[in-house]
Amino acid sequence: MKNVFTIIKKEFSRFFKDRRMVVTVLLPGLLIYVIYSIMGAVFSDMTGVDEDYKPTAYIFGAPTDISAQLSEVLNVTEQTSLDDAKTAVTDGKLDIVLVFPSNFSQTVGTQTPPDVKVYYNSSNSNSVYGYTFVTALLGQMNTSAFTVNATPDKFNLATERDLAGSFTSTIMPMLMFALLASGCMAVAPESIAGEKERGTMATMLITPVRRVELALGKIISLTCFALLSGISSFIGVILSLPKLMGTSIGAETAALYSVGDYFLVLAVIISVVLVIISAFSVVSAYAKSVKEAGSLISPLMILVIVFGMATMFFANSTPHVAIYLVPLLGSGLALSSIMSFAVNPLGLALSVLSNLVITVALVVLLAFMFKSEKIMFKK
Amino acid sequence: MEEILKVENLKKTFTLSRKQQRIEKTNLSVKVAVDNLSFSAYKGEIFGLLGPNGAGKTTTLRMLATLIKPESGNAYICGKSVVSEANAVRRKIGFLTSELKLEDFFTPNYLFGFFSELYGVDKQTADARRRALFSRFGIDRFAEVKFGNLSTGMKQKVSLVISIVHDPELIIFDEPTNGLDVLTAKVVTDFLEELRCDGKTIILSTHIFSLVEKLCDRVGIIIDGKLAALDTLEALTKENNLETTFFDIYGKVTGGRI
Repeated sequence: MKNVFTIIKKEFSRFFKDRRMVVTVLLPGLLIYVIYSIMGAVFSDMTGVDEDYKPTAYIFGAPTDISAQLSEVLNVTEQTSLDDAKTAVTDGKLDIVLVFPSNFSQTVGTQTPPDVKVYYNSSNSNSVYGYTFVTALLGQMNTSAFTVNATPDKFNLATERDLAGSFTSTIMPMLMFALLASGCMAVAPESIAGEKERGTMATMLITPVRRVELALGKIISLTCFALLSGISSFIGVILSLPKLMGTSIGAETAALYSVGDYFLVLAVIISVVLVIISAFSVVSAYAKSVKEAGSLISPLMILVIVFGMATMFFANSTPHVAIYLVPLLGSGLALSSIMSFAVNPLGLALSVLSNLVITVALVVLLAFMFKSEKIMFKK
Repeated sequence: MEEILKVENLKKTFTLSRKQQRIEKTNLSVKVAVDNLSFSAYKGEIFGLLGPNGAGKTTTLRMLATLIKPESGNAYICGKSVVSEANAVRRKIGFLTSELKLEDFFTPNYLFGFFSELYGVDKQTADARRRALFSRFGIDRFAEVKFGNLSTGMKQKVSLVISIVHDPELIIFDEPTNGLDVLTAKVVTDFLEELRCDGKTIILSTHIFSLVEKLCDRVGIIIDGKLAALDTLEALTKENNLETTFFDIYGKVTGGRI
């Protein structure tokens, strides 16, 4: 038992004497706190549905008193018919439709209470908000006097396409960013920090190859490897969607998108991989070993995934086109827009462009790092 | 004689971290690794750089190989400055040191082709040179064996061959026989003599006296970053053998500190 403590003491001593190790262990937590705080401050006005938002609704057959009550909190609109109102919900032009049975007043509070039908569109966040709001409100009115959506019907008026688009546009940026980042993580440290550690980088540095050529050659080849890994994971995700989500949405999801959509997705993810691999390469060039590179890249991985997650905050709003210029975040929004069948061409172009600009800057930085003896030959 | 290498007041200092200061047992935050070094090497000669560990030999060679930049001074290889014409210098030199490694995953054939391309050697010339060098060092049989699977001696032979794929004018060898068995060491030393006969200039850094006595035409002794002696081997060993001469000079420079 004494030896156990001796070993523990040695491990603690080793850990706390290595400042880099301490920093890299504590950095992710600190980084998450900082990033989330900033994001919270920046996106607070963009998240969710506005608290003052009044859902638009069409009310059919409601008793006067209930209708009056609902009119105070809902933006009640007129529709030519119930079917038109349902179509408007499907199209996202109307949030909810409430249908009260014709015998509502007679049956309310009886053994066979009336059933109020609330139609909504789950692919529209305003509609979901309206649905949640109204069902809660009706529940408060009288929980046993009548029921809500108790009879069998299709209350969710979202089309399969909208549902699939909504689902994939929400999860895809985060999922893709995580997959691409792990693909980059698998190749960048080994190729740059590994070569530095093994001494094979120095062998190349004494040849007449220009440093920028070396940097570019590394970035392009690593991008291909990471892309390969990312695309294989992406295909895996698409193929597993039916099992993940059930056949109602998943089975047809892949077929919902056109070849053009897939090309746009490819263009975005290539630009994303370029940024991630360049950033990871710069960190790897700074690190003294593969192990250190891995530790230093971990917080960056989190950052990349957070950028993917941040896309969700814009699900309910149309972001300003300038947001697309934010590297990775703009790409996430572009991916999301493709997946939700609402491509913003200018935003997409700006996101790809900003990623390319960042990549060029990072390649130049990497080339400078390859020139720096302090970085390349530090012990 | 044609001057291939001209070193002029080369100086290099390193900033010491606190940790390094503790290791070096000094309070100085700066270490002068190479201090105003000047010497020349001529076509067809083997110039030996002799000195103890930490004397500044490797730093000097790294500056000549353009891996690091001098703080002041300059060096010219075939008239090209290591400071301002680094890429031109790289085409003129070959550098063999234990610090530079080759990828374990690749075969000698692949590595030769790869480095030939980086040096801009055309394929025909590279193929002819590969055949000649592989045959000279007995690498032919191992040409398709991964570098990582070769013996230490064969690895050194392949490294030597790779360092001269572009037929450089000046070849810098840092401890080329370190860790080699006597047979491989002899192959390497014989080849250095061949290179001299071919008119190549060689800078040989070592602390092995016998190697210097066997190969070098002129010798520079570096102690504490400074050139403590520079002369022909013949002149340096006129009265005593090289080892005795070296320790005499070392004693005078350092006050007998070992």
